[in-house]
Amino acid sequence: MSRPLVVTRRMVDHPTDSHTLDRYQETGGYEMARRSLDMTRDEIVETVKSANLLGRGGAAFSAGLKWSFLAPDRPAYVVVNADESEPGTFKDRQLLERDPHQLIEGLIITSWANEANHAFIYIRGEYPKPARRVQQAVDEAYAAGYLGEGIFGTDFDLEVTVHLGGGAYICGEETAMINSLEGLRGEPRLKPPYFPAAKGLYMKPTIVNNVETICNVPHVLAMGAEDFKGIAHPEDTGTFLLSLSGHVNEPGNYELPHGLTWREIIYDVAGGIRDGNELKTWIPGGASAPWFVPSLHLDMPLTKQATADAGSMIGSGAVVVMDETTCVVRAALRLVRFFAHESCGECTPCREGAPWLEMMLTRIENGQGRPVDFDVILDVSDGISIGLEWPPKMTTICALGPSAVSPIISLRDHFGDEVVAHIEGGGCPFGRVEEEEVVA
Amino acid sequence: MGSEPITLTIRPAESGKKWSDESLERARRIMARYPEKRSAVMPLLYLAMAEDGRLTNGGMEQVAELVGITPAQVLAVASFYTMYKRERTGKYLISACTSISCMLTGGDDVFEAIELESGVPHGETDEEGLISVEHVECIGACGGAPAVQVNYELIEGVTPVKARELVRWLQQERPATINTDEMQRHFGGRRSFDWAVAEEASAVGPYPAFQPFGTVGGVGEGE
Amino acid sequence: MTARETEGVLVTIDGKEVRAPEGELLIKTAEDNGTYIPRFCWHPRLKEVGMCRMCLVDIETPGGSMMVTACTNPISDGMVVDTKNDRVKKAQEAILEYLLINHPLDCPVCDRGGECPLQDQTMSYGPGETRFVEEKRHFEKPIPISDLVLLDRERCILCARCTRFADEVPGDPLIEFKERGYGTQISIFPNQPFSSYFSGNTVQICPVGALTATPYRFRARPWDLKAVESTCPHCTAGDRISIEASQNQVLRFLGVDVDATNRGWLSDKCRFGFEYLNSEDRLTNPLARQEGGTYEEVSWGEATSIIAQRFGAIREAHGGDALAVLGGAHGTNEDAYALSVFARDVLGTKNIDCRMDDALGTRLLTGIDRRARISDVDTAGTIIVWGPDLKEEHPTLYLRVRHAVQELGANLIVIHPRATGLDDRADLKITYRPGSGSDLLTQLRGGDRDDVNALLEASPVVAFVGRTGYTEGPTMAEAVASWILELEDSRVLPLARRANVFGALDMGVAPDLEPGRIAATETGRDTRQILGGLASGDIRGLLLVGADPVRDVPDGSLATSGLSGAEFVVAIDMFHNDSTAHADVILPALGFSEKEGTVTNIEGRVQKVNRIAPGSGQSRSDWSIIADIATALGSDLGWTSEQEINDAMMARVPAYAEASWDALDWEERDGVVVPAPGADVPVYRPEMTTQPTVGAELVLHSARKLYDDGVMMRKGPSLHRLAPGGFAHLHPDDARRLGARTGSAVRLVTKRGEAELPVQVDPSLHRGVVYVPFNQPGVGPLGDDPVVRVTAVGEPD
Ligand SMILES: Cc1cc2nc3c(=O)[nH]c(=O)nc-3n(C[C@H](O)[C@H](O)[C@H](O)COP(=O)(O)O)c2cc1C
Ligand code: SF4
Ligand code: FES
Repeated sequence: MSRPLVVTRRMVDHPTDSHTLDRYQETGGYEMARRSLDMTRDEIVETVKSANLLGRGGAAFSAGLKWSFLAPDRPAYVVVNADESEPGTFKDRQLLERDPHQLIEGLIITSWANEANHAFIYIRGEYPKPARRVQQAVDEAYAAGYLGEGIFGTDFDLEVTVHLGGGAYICGEETAMINSLEGLRGEPRLKPPYFPAAKGLYMKPTIVNNVETICNVPHVLAMGAEDFKGIAHPEDTGTFLLSLSGHVNEPGNYELPHGLTWREIIYDVAGGIRDGNELKTWIPGGASAPWFVPSLHLDMPLTKQATADAGSMIGSGAVVVMDETTCVVRAALRLVRFFAHESCGECTPCREGAPWLEMMLTRIENGQGRPVDFDVILDVSDGISIGLEWPPKMTTICALGPSAVSPIISLRDHFGDEVVAHIEGGGCPFGRVEEEEVVA
Repeated sequence: MGSEPITLTIRPAESGKKWSDESLERARRIMARYPEKRSAVMPLLYLAMAEDGRLTNGGMEQVAELVGITPAQVLAVASFYTMYKRERTGKYLISACTSISCMLTGGDDVFEAIELESGVPHGETDEEGLISVEHVECIGACGGAPAVQVNYELIEGVTPVKARELVRWLQQERPATINTDEMQRHFGGRRSFDWAVAEEASAVGPYPAFQPFGTVGGVGEGE
Repeated sequence: MTARETEGVLVTIDGKEVRAPEGELLIKTAEDNGTYIPRFCWHPRLKEVGMCRMCLVDIETPGGSMMVTACTNPISDGMVVDTKNDRVKKAQEAILEYLLINHPLDCPVCDRGGECPLQDQTMSYGPGETRFVEEKRHFEKPIPISDLVLLDRERCILCARCTRFADEVPGDPLIEFKERGYGTQISIFPNQPFSSYFSGNTVQICPVGALTATPYRFRARPWDLKAVESTCPHCTAGDRISIEASQNQVLRFLGVDVDATNRGWLSDKCRFGFEYLNSEDRLTNPLARQEGGTYEEVSWGEATSIIAQRFGAIREAHGGDALAVLGGAHGTNEDAYALSVFARDVLGTKNIDCRMDDALGTRLLTGIDRRARISDVDTAGTIIVWGPDLKEEHPTLYLRVRHAVQELGANLIVIHPRATGLDDRADLKITYRPGSGSDLLTQLRGGDRDDVNALLEASPVVAFVGRTGYTEGPTMAEAVASWILELEDSRVLPLARRANVFGALDMGVAPDLEPGRIAATETGRDTRQILGGLASGDIRGLLLVGADPVRDVPDGSLATSGLSGAEFVVAIDMFHNDSTAHADVILPALGFSEKEGTVTNIEGRVQKVNRIAPGSGQSRSDWSIIADIATALGSDLGWTSEQEINDAMMARVPAYAEASWDALDWEERDGVVVPAPGADVPVYRPEMTTQPTVGAELVLHSARKLYDDGVMMRKGPSLHRLAPGGFAHLHPDDARRLGARTGSAVRLVTKRGEAELPVQVDPSLHRGVVYVPFNQPGVGPLGDDPVVRVTAVGEPD
């Protein structure tokens, strides 16, 4: 199986110094940024669009298409979403720590293409080391004349500010990130009317892209749209980084082409299940995604469309594998607890509903479940995400609310019996210790 | 019950003490990095923590004054995020991940070991003000789960035994700064991915070590 | 034009096709067309946040149906909306259930019980029962967040109405969300209260009982209240209110949303300033002074005959002009008309004035044809405020200007000797030394200030013109108005205090105006001259009508010497005050909400005031007291009701010909704006005067705060303690020079008084100016002469 490497090539080839400016330049770095400044906005946007580079932050939306929506008002801003907080996801951290200049180069091109003279890299607060690495690279780029006034000797100015978050997953949601950058609470804005490309940071047109998306940009231009599309799958172009964790033998980040089957990913790439155990279930695309089970999904290919057809999403590329020893009620509870804890509290269903779900699941796991509880759980979930499907018909402002319901959908679809067993058996059949009552 | 008059008076700023000139200068430089100064609230809050060891009312008032908003608006922002600690916080903040991937690989046991060894339950600080303990949601180290941070510096592949050693080390050695490589070497195991080079910078308090905030200690300091 | 432009776009709501303007919010379109969509967070006067999610509806989109909030989605052509299908019902039920899981359900002891949107909507849209068996969220029960407002976080549904109001409307973001998610709560910063002049509005717009007002808490149940609409008696804006009373006691004022005036908002002074009505200190019986200075209760008959006898004797011996009348700006137009006719036709005096020497010239207040309407600020290109701090003296106008600048993009120029509430929204703020206004005006008029010129390019210009303080004479404002009116597309709103001063002037309660804004052929004496005349003996008898010159006239010592020199003083009032202490006869008057009639606001808008409470003891309305005195003096004026006076007034005052009570019916319209001076009334063009610059080293700036030591404030426990007290504000340079600092004391000596006050260093002041708030508790009058000598008291720095 060939595994083309794009964004991790340098760190694989040069494990000790891929992050340095010297190594970066020695391997052709900043060439594309330099060359892109001779291209027009339209040329770049068109190339990225036809390469069909999909956003890697979760929504898998075409980056070029997003850029083409940039409203004419100026100044415009670019924001790199490095808030990576979706449980199971740790790919951006590697890109930030190991190859920060690649990100900066992508950011220069993205800013030029979107006529922005000020860009922000919003890094989650719990990532001080990646932030230090990125800041160091930014400083180097300034010193080299690649950032600041008149970069590469042109008359294009680009300021880059590295911003550290304060510990809030919701700030990964792009409009919450914009509020946070404005010095406000990280509450998502209403869409409409606040689509960032029209009214973003300081109500000006703003492009928000994930770290990995931006890192791909120089490669898209360097290869050209056709070659980029040729890497792997014709629709899900290019490669993507999978963060594999949980009960696999070889957890870690893997840069893969789309189209592999889940069997290949879990058993070949990740080395199979630990201790030779049976695979029970896995989360295909980050904590927000409904889970897959071997009986239905193991031979399905990992593509955006196939995953969506199966009622889930490729999301942030985080695959969390659970083996037969896993109590799925507890797993679901931990995920729901995460969303309850991270709810910004702006809208009623998410603020009140998610903690309520957490309380009920805690009781069930601790053996105080009542026969009606599972129905109540489903109905309370239904109020957050009407019809309990994916993609959700959400009653909330942002997708965090319905994400909290994904684990419930998974329990309903695949593990109803296990829930009932908890309730009827007066506790967890796996004999685990009591689950702490946390609630936000 | 009833309606006796209530009189609230505006209280003078908590300490009356202002930041050092050096911090004010740093604050000015941070604000200059943003098109609008209100955007600097979050970095300034870290600066405030570095000044006082935690986020005090006086610190929030200072931030409010610097960016030109009300202290209530600063509190609204500060209290939204988990990393601005308004309660007394230890010199070492141990954060153990108990989110999904860490939970699947024993993170709960690691957290419990930390609580037991330190005697400090979730969200609290020991009497001496040395160690604070918390369990946290995913910290992006799932490939090296279970993971723990001390002052946001990461250790991956931690076991309950190693976690207890970590606590004892902090209690006995009381390192002046916290370095991620050093901790990983002593208390860690499998990592999410290999780290390329030695990490020079070290953290000094319960806030992220990031040079523009002036919150990096030990080597690596300097503009 | 297309149908879309003339009739709006076509929207289908629950199968019914309706047309409405493109971009209008769906929630409004639906409501206007008979479909009520439940809501909590949406408030038509606040920015939409779409937080509560109660207003979810289903719309059809190319990608299938979608749930959207009606309060945030503008309508577009062809939109198809379902507000009642199963998905919507499920959402509504769910939202209510979520809101109720942590709600304490303490409705029986909640002030809001019975008028609570949460209660009501739960009845209509909610689930039958709650399935929540977990522990509810607990918070400490009501905590004070200001002197006037309590917060119960358990009842709060986090709709952000209060926080949005505080931030967006008055610009006082002192209450905010704190924490996040399930722990989100409303909070102030520790020990920094929500001390906004407008805090009470949050209580009114809170959709549950989370915010309650200390003056109202536990006073009544909504179903015991009766209500009547009226016009706020506190300032000249003429804000629409609803007065609510129970068992003949007025218990609260609520703002009513009318676009012409206050849009539902009130200042806390408007809202809670009614407490004096229920004061135990209200006068209940006529009182006559006895030998030795004590007062005895007398009957109305006795009182009127004493007055008639004494006034008659003075008139007989010295002529009508030996009598004078002061006051009348707090009553109705009917009262004012009666007073004016009584003074002129019965007493035979032209010495009558409703202004307390603190206002502007009568002609400026009544006679300019380009008088602006309040709503003109909404379309203004540039707004100029050269006068009092609107926030302190005309609080709802302050909100209106703020809105126009912040949301509608008007330019704002503020000119004042020190900081004002609007400064943070001003494009240009100019401070100057009182007494040097002419120099500044000369510059502006000469086009020497490019910053001003640039802003004036945006027209129309709407200017609020008044006295910045009492050491600046009224002619300065006239000069300013003259400059404004020279600008091409400009309008002026002249500012004056006391709610019905404009109505009283229209009725001729002024020495130089006859009823109907007609210039008097012979001019009588104004307040200052009357007080001087009393002191010198030219004037012997005085009738005070709801007036306290000792406190209200800037030169209080002039008032005191005038009143003590008078031979015979009658006071019609609700309370004993510093001026009634000089009265020989005191007559108890009905107050606001105890009588019916009309009032006229700053724009000339005539509106109704209505009765809901009977008043205390034997109190009577001004007009009927006056009518009785007239009869006793041998002139039967023939009035038996307010309505009759209104008829007489309409006949005599041409501008008021349309302002009949019927025409003022609230359901129909927002009052009647009487026309600007026309054919039969002279139009006034103020002259451009220049005033000599005051040369003194330090000059006094004396201006009012919202809360002061006026008698109505003193009789209202909730507000009086909010008066800030006396301070001498000094520019830092002046303070340094004098060896004073914040908290140290200085002695101020003027020609007319002196005081020792704590210093407040105030960098917003123009250099060389000492600002002392007017009429604060415990501070004697300093008069209106600008020259002040300041020395440090106590050990030097
Ligand atoms: C609750 C929530 C959390 C999110 N967190 C992240 C995140 O941590 N990182 C990220 O890149 N995108 C995150 N997103 C997606 C962003 O809103 C946005 O779609 C993305 O940054 C766009 O970049 P892309 O198009 O390059 O993927 C999140 C979205 C939601 C609703
Ligand atoms: S869904 Fe949750 S996180 Fe998203 S805006 Fe609503 S309350 Fe905030
Ligand atoms: S009224 Fe629309 S969301 Fe609250």
